[in-house]
Amino acid sequence: MSEAAHPHPSAAHQPHSRKEYFAVFGALCVLTALEIGVYYTHISQGLMISALILLALAKAGAVALFFMHLKLETRVLRIVVFSPPALVAIYALVLILENSWRFMTSL
Amino acid sequence: MTATDAHADPLSRIPEALRDPRDGFGSASLGKIGMWIFLVTDCMTFSGLLLAYGILRAGTPHWPAASSWLGIPLTAWNTFVLIVSSVMMVLAFSACQEGNRKRTALFLGLTMLGGLMFLGGQAVEYTDLIRHGFVLYGNKIPGMTPAAQSTFFVVTSFHGCHVFTGVVYLGVMLVNTLRGKYDGGNSNSIEIAGLFWHFVDLIWILVFTFVYLIPVAS
Repeated sequence: MSEAAHPHPSAAHQPHSRKEYFAVFGALCVLTALEIGVYYTHISQGLMISALILLALAKAGAVALFFMHLKLETRVLRIVVFSPPALVAIYALVLILENSWRFMTSL
Repeated sequence: MTATDAHADPLSRIPEALRDPRDGFGSASLGKIGMWIFLVTDCMTFSGLLLAYGILRAGTPHWPAASSWLGIPLTAWNTFVLIVSSVMMVLAFSACQEGNRKRTALFLGLTMLGGLMFLGGQAVEYTDLIRHGFVLYGNKIPGMTPAAQSTFFVVTSFHGCHVFTGVVYLGVMLVNTLRGKYDGGNSNSIEIAGLFWHFVDLIWILVFTFVYLIPVAS
């Protein structure tokens, strides 16, 4: 399939405006600053880990949805893209908690 | 999809959206779908590495705090540089859609510059670490957990390879742009390259959080 031949229909779906891109950039800067702020704040480890993971996921989501145009794509593609990482996250949670418990109870 | 056809035409049982993959994916080009599927597999690879890091860390008695051996400010700056380069990339795509060859080339160049700055920052970081004995494999630092060293270098260098590959990929895109290959709003290839670049940024956002920021028990 020659992509160089003619302008592709995907260019026709209403793209985000430059304003939207800069708004997302602003949000990413704020979220990064928040992450650094949380890192240097004296809060409990559990709270810090939860906050950092949530902020990281928010940033990743913003990049995926707006810069990678996932928001403009079909639901099918979004499901295809988000399902495997979601499953990995569940798997990771279980494995890490299990290992952490195993270590804690071996002390 | 009519109920009466259910027995006569088994295909009617499949939801409309899934009968023909191209229909399910709307106007997305095959190249774009292919890149997305590749990125999902790449995500799996990174997940494997990050998971190994997470499991090792959860089960190790003395995992060193990141702040004791890594420069958070330098890495925070690197993170910012990569985010800015992602913005440059999306502006390049925007310019290409508008049919502006010069602007597209400019922003592609700026994206590449961001990538090179990131790699430079990593080189500085690696040099400093290695000079202090924090190496890929070895016990040069008393009290240091070797697993911390190996997981750090494997995860960050695997990502660094992606940044480098991305810069080369964008270089090819830049040459093609200057040759007029993407004139007239023919932005599909630029968009696909952008997907790869944004993915690299996205992975770094996660690596930065999990390797540098998540604290050890104090």
